[in-house]
Amino acid sequence: MSIDADGIVRQITEIVAAELGVTVDSLVPDTDLRGIEGADSVRLLRVVAKVEQTWDVELEDDEVFGVSSIADLAKVVTAALQVQAA
Amino acid sequence: MTTVEPPPTTAPELPWAVLEDYRCFGCSPHNPHGIALQFTDHPEGIATTFRLGRSYESYPGVVHGGLLGVVVDETMGNLIVVRTGQVAFTVSMRLRYLAPVSVGAEYICVARLGQGADGPLTSASAEILDADGATVVTATATYRNVSFGTARDRIALSAPEATRLGQALTTTAADASPDQSDQSDQPDQPDQSDQPARQDHPTAKEPQ
Repeated sequence: MSIDADGIVRQITEIVAAELGVTVDSLVPDTDLRGIEGADSVRLLRVVAKVEQTWDVELEDDEVFGVSSIADLAKVVTAALQVQAA
Repeated sequence: MTTVEPPPTTAPELPWAVLEDYRCFGCSPHNPHGIALQFTDHPEGIATTFRLGRSYESYPGVVHGGLLGVVVDETMGNLIVVRTGQVAFTVSMRLRYLAPVSVGAEYICVARLGQGADGPLTSASAEILDADGATVVTATATYRNVSFGTARDRIALSAPEATRLGQALTTTAADASPDQSDQSDQPDQPDQSDQPARQDHPTAKEPQ
């Protein structure tokens, strides 16, 4: 199964924008999630929950709390999908 | 002026209702210590609206997270029961707590079926949303579908109760899947995954 890494980044960007109330255009893969205006622990957990629902994956807590950017979160999702496909 | 009536709310018929004194902590109206959840049909599965008081408190003003496990487990488990007519035993469950759930506030839990409703294991997901529609808890779980004949040995029922519940589950199965309606009251199929119910949490109700 091929995994569309760019698509994952794009979808996570859209999720972050929706959950944090910012525009997609204001985000790039390296955007520091905790630095986004309005970001707090609850909203960031909602991002994680939405990501898990979107790809039907269960991310490990230590991975989730270790990510700092959209790109980091995309890597965690990609790894989870690879495990799922194995 | 034309007024728009809200769509009628329908409730799934839980087979346990034929047991006059079932005491399920989650959904029985007969357990004074329980939370007496009531379910309604939902476009994506079934739902329950609930409000938990201080008896279920953790930190002051915050509902204990374990109780939320009961809520999601009940909602997912009963969804599987009404969709399959089989008893669903929880195999594993995982919750993600996104925000504190407040004592006394109203929330809704919505459960959806996942994969495998036709096999021995069924996955389901649920979320709890606050009055503004914000998700506060997400959950996923896996259940083992067990025919009533198998479950019968693990739950305490008198013979008349077993007969009534067996018939109710057969009706549930027929309503859920007319093509398979004659399977639920068959003698047990060999259950390869059947192990002693060491840690199974019986979503099946345990009348006392």
